[in-house]
Amino acid sequence: MAEVILKNVRKVFDRDVVAVDDANIEIKDQEFVVLVGPSGCGKSTTLRMVAGLEEVTSGEIYIEGKLVNDIPPKDRDIAMVFQNYALYPHMTVYQNMAFGLKLRKYPKEEIDDRVREAADILGIQELLERKPKALSGGQRQRVAVGRAIVRKPKVFLFDEPLSNLDAKLRVQMRTEISKLHTRLEATMIYVTHDQTEAMTMGDRIVVMKDGRIQQNDTPLHLYNHPANQFVAGFIGSPSMNFIEGRLAVDGDGLRFDEGKISLPLPQQMKGPLAGHADQEITLGIRPEDIHDPDTMGRGVDTITIEAQVEVVEPMGNEVFLYLTTGKSTFVARVDPIHVPEVGQPVNLAVEIGKAHFFDKDTQESLLGSQ
Amino acid sequence: MSLSSTSILERLGEHGRKTITQIIFVVYGVIVVFPMVWLLYTAFKPTSELFASAWSLPVEWKLDNFVEAWSEARIGDFFWNSLFVTISTLLVQLFVGSMASYSLAKYRFRAQGILYYGFLAGMMFPLFLGIVPLFFLVKSLGLLDSHLGLIVVYAAFGIPFTVFVLTAFFRTIPTEIMEAGVMDGCGHFSLYWRIMLPLAKPGLTTVGIFTFISIWNEYILALVLLSSSHLRTMPLGIAVLQFVQFYEVDFGALFAGLVIVMLPTLLCYVILQEQITKGMTVGAVKG
Repeated sequence: MAEVILKNVRKVFDRDVVAVDDANIEIKDQEFVVLVGPSGCGKSTTLRMVAGLEEVTSGEIYIEGKLVNDIPPKDRDIAMVFQNYALYPHMTVYQNMAFGLKLRKYPKEEIDDRVREAADILGIQELLERKPKALSGGQRQRVAVGRAIVRKPKVFLFDEPLSNLDAKLRVQMRTEISKLHTRLEATMIYVTHDQTEAMTMGDRIVVMKDGRIQQNDTPLHLYNHPANQFVAGFIGSPSMNFIEGRLAVDGDGLRFDEGKISLPLPQQMKGPLAGHADQEITLGIRPEDIHDPDTMGRGVDTITIEAQVEVVEPMGNEVFLYLTTGKSTFVARVDPIHVPEVGQPVNLAVEIGKAHFFDKDTQESLLGSQ
Repeated sequence: MSLSSTSILERLGEHGRKTITQIIFVVYGVIVVFPMVWLLYTAFKPTSELFASAWSLPVEWKLDNFVEAWSEARIGDFFWNSLFVTISTLLVQLFVGSMASYSLAKYRFRAQGILYYGFLAGMMFPLFLGIVPLFFLVKSLGLLDSHLGLIVVYAAFGIPFTVFVLTAFFRTIPTEIMEAGVMDGCGHFSLYWRIMLPLAKPGLTTVGIFTFISIWNEYILALVLLSSSHLRTMPLGIAVLQFVQFYEVDFGALFAGLVIVMLPTLLCYVILQEQITKGMTVGAVKG
């Protein structure tokens, strides 16, 4: 059971730069966990601590129940795929893949079997005698993955492995890594700054910011129940819209009041929000929860608002409308049936039941993340 | 002045400017190459013919001068002595220097900067200032008049240059390659030996060539540290040959000796030219 557990892990560089602060993560056997966040959030440092390439300042890391803080990388039984492939330029593809096994003194026949098996899985059989400089970016990345899988390690670590590939190849490799996970039934930890990769690949996503874990959850739960405004804004593309306003009492209900926009809130939100009445809060609404009233399905509880179209981005299967109303700007993702003109006023139906609310100071979700 | 010269250049046009540049390079090339070519073909002439017609090609191409220099003037012995000292120095210098450079470039430790600049300071130390103390140091170590003593001193003088070139070289190798090696199971030494050293081949070649040339031609230290005639290196041997020739006036053998000295260096340079250029321009452009 290759579980990976991080307990109160902290990493400080140069005595006062806190890269990772109090990270607690439990990764189950065969789980695919994605660490995601913006540059400098500490995700790569966390991965490198698991790999043993960085020392842990405090806290504990366990792999398969064994404390590995002081165990060198080569004895942790893990393999890592690097962002820039890190293939050995002076070795052929075959030698690159066989190198780790050779160092561990595996018999020649077994090395050959494993390298050819990995090459089969990744479709790089015909590249085995080539040097890395004679390969394309995608082929190099496959070799880097191949080098990891020949070792059959307990845990695979991926450090932004697709960042150097073009968009099309990235999508293709994304699927292949997911398939590989299913096939190898191995524990994988994957670092990326791309929320689409995180959402599509991970069994679980750990969102990080400024060295701290913001939320650790399944992709859909993270999307639907973000713990705070950062997670809500980071996950999803286009990002969630945030509108600042006041939570006003309206008879026996509540109303979100921005100035120009005034939205009565459904009764089920009254419970969690009641304690914040008459306070400044932030409303979050995803672009897909703002609809064109003409094309929207029936039976959806919405409130209509009027806005001015500033930019129209037709994507083919959908259209992104960049809108302003009052002092707020926001994005709506609508069907491409009626595409409005720039500058034209439009009516939009806001699915208020799907809105999120955040404390203006702490930025924590007022609806909770459960 | 500058205005008029500019206008002259402008009047010449692109084609004229190119022709002038080419003429300058051809003249420079002749100045550099001709003495070597002259030396080479003169080595095949008997001394009498040299005095009769200094610039002409040999009437008959003969190897007599080479045979005489190699066996009678003992250039052959000196050649093997030089080869032994040069290759041994090269091995010690490249091995020790590359290990020092690798650790300076890729590891972080206390006093790293002091150590690096200490090496660089070694490059600026004038050899002549050190000769007398060096003589007594080598003597007290019991290494005077031995090839080992000469090799140790040569390596000590050469390591700063090796460190200077190779540290810059190792810095250009991505750290991720090292980390991949660590993940694959390399220890410190196998990381250096199996991954970093092969990647530093152009740098090693550059340093190797420069070291080869300087050790092969080195005269002063060999003169001070070696006294037995059977231990002499080529430059010492040639100097002795030249001294003897002053009385016998056999310039043919002397020229043949010089060709024997020159040839290995030239061959090395011609064969490894590409690697040397690669090694010297590393870091200049993004690889």
